Amino acid sequence: MGALADGGDPVQGEKAFQYCYSCHSVQPDETNLPGPSLYGIVGRRIASQEGFSYSPALRAFAQREERWSEELLDRYLAAPYKLVPKTSMAFPGVEAQDERADLIAYLRSKDERY
Amino acid sequence: MLPACRIAFALLAFLAFTGSGSAQQPQQVFPLPEGTYPHDVAPAPDGKVWYSAQRNGALGILDPSTGQSREIKLGPKSAPHGVIQGPDGAAWLTDGGQNAIVRVDPQTEKVMAWKLPEDTGYTNLNTAVFDMDGIHWFTGQNGFYGRLNPRSGEIKVWKAPRGRGPYGITATPEGDVYYASLAGNHIARIDKTTGDAMVIEPPTKGQGARRVWSDTKGRIWVSEWNAGQLGLYDPKANSWREWKLPGDKPQAYAVYVDDNDIVWVSDWGADAILSFDPATEQFTSYPMSEADANVRQILGRPGEVWLPESGADRLMVIRTARQSQ
Repeated sequence: MGALADGGDPVQGEKAFQYCYSCHSVQPDETNLPGPSLYGIVGRRIASQEGFSYSPALRAFAQREERWSEELLDRYLAAPYKLVPKTSMAFPGVEAQDERADLIAYLRSKDERY
Repeated sequence: MLPACRIAFALLAFLAFTGSGSAQQPQQVFPLPEGTYPHDVAPAPDGKVWYSAQRNGALGILDPSTGQSREIKLGPKSAPHGVIQGPDGAAWLTDGGQNAIVRVDPQTEKVMAWKLPEDTGYTNLNTAVFDMDGIHWFTGQNGFYGRLNPRSGEIKVWKAPRGRGPYGITATPEGDVYYASLAGNHIARIDKTTGDAMVIEPPTKGQGARRVWSDTKGRIWVSEWNAGQLGLYDPKANSWREWKLPGDKPQAYAVYVDDNDIVWVSDWGADAILSFDPATEQFTSYPMSEADANVRQILGRPGEVWLPESGADRLMVIRTARQSQ
């Protein structure tokens, strides 16, 4: 069972976002970091930030899975290398399901569509 | 053939470890257990080789003479990024998962951890280096750098200028300490008296300075990830030079300078390791064992350059005896 954001706490999720902070932003116009911006990532097309050099593995993954659903994000955050072998993201993952739910809730909270 | 880049055809036929009579192969790969994910590598004092098994929360130990490897677990939530050999002969790891500096004694295999101060928060510990006084300096990619005095256990952490980004770190023969800021697009020199970091800007904007390494003259070589360039900062002249890596879309990840002042760079764009001779300004390319091997760091000892293939669960060595003669 995935960790859906409806059960997550975005305030706690901001703390969990520190795992991502060195490479990712949640600002839409901050696209010059080592990783793509995570603004609007929930529901966004996979590997779709214009001009970003995604790994061959993630580009291939985008051919199989169209968008980052909450469930797919949860599986990715749990162990990125298991869902996308050879992803260039070194981060080993967030083990705790509630922490992943908090993080996804935080990411969604930064998206003005929600 | 491009004049600035020669392919090391003589070394193309690298071989996996076979267990017999393979010690003199110029380029050799050592398979590790699936899922090891060796992030960084460091030669150990007894001829073995350490690696940070980031996804296993462990220090890995490879015996190149047998090809056998094993792991020492570092603790709950461990996810080590870097490993180096300290002046005490021990393995020192920057463990992001534990937010701690970890030491593993090579004789007793005792694991000791120095947690960063609680109020610092998660720093995303990255890489470390010892200066000539035996002080351990480290970076935290979330925007920190710091030092640990192994004798007293005192830890001091500073917020980096311009925030997130501190990545590779190096010490010069004179004892100066520099780090690279990947997200901050600069390198910085740490004033070891005050702890202040002085930002030094490479000529190329947005270059993505990821790792740094000092040569024997105290010059700082920089792998510029975004720009796909090799940079060189000369502190005495306060001057820069930069060289574009060969190929269509180079991405310079790791940099290391060997005992002969030959510079080594991993290029993810070409799935290759490049050596660069500062005297001739020529690159020589060595292929990795497979596509997307993703070499994130380079370290060696005289005659050997070691490469962790994080994407392939292998270590590779390039033996440089020819260049050492």
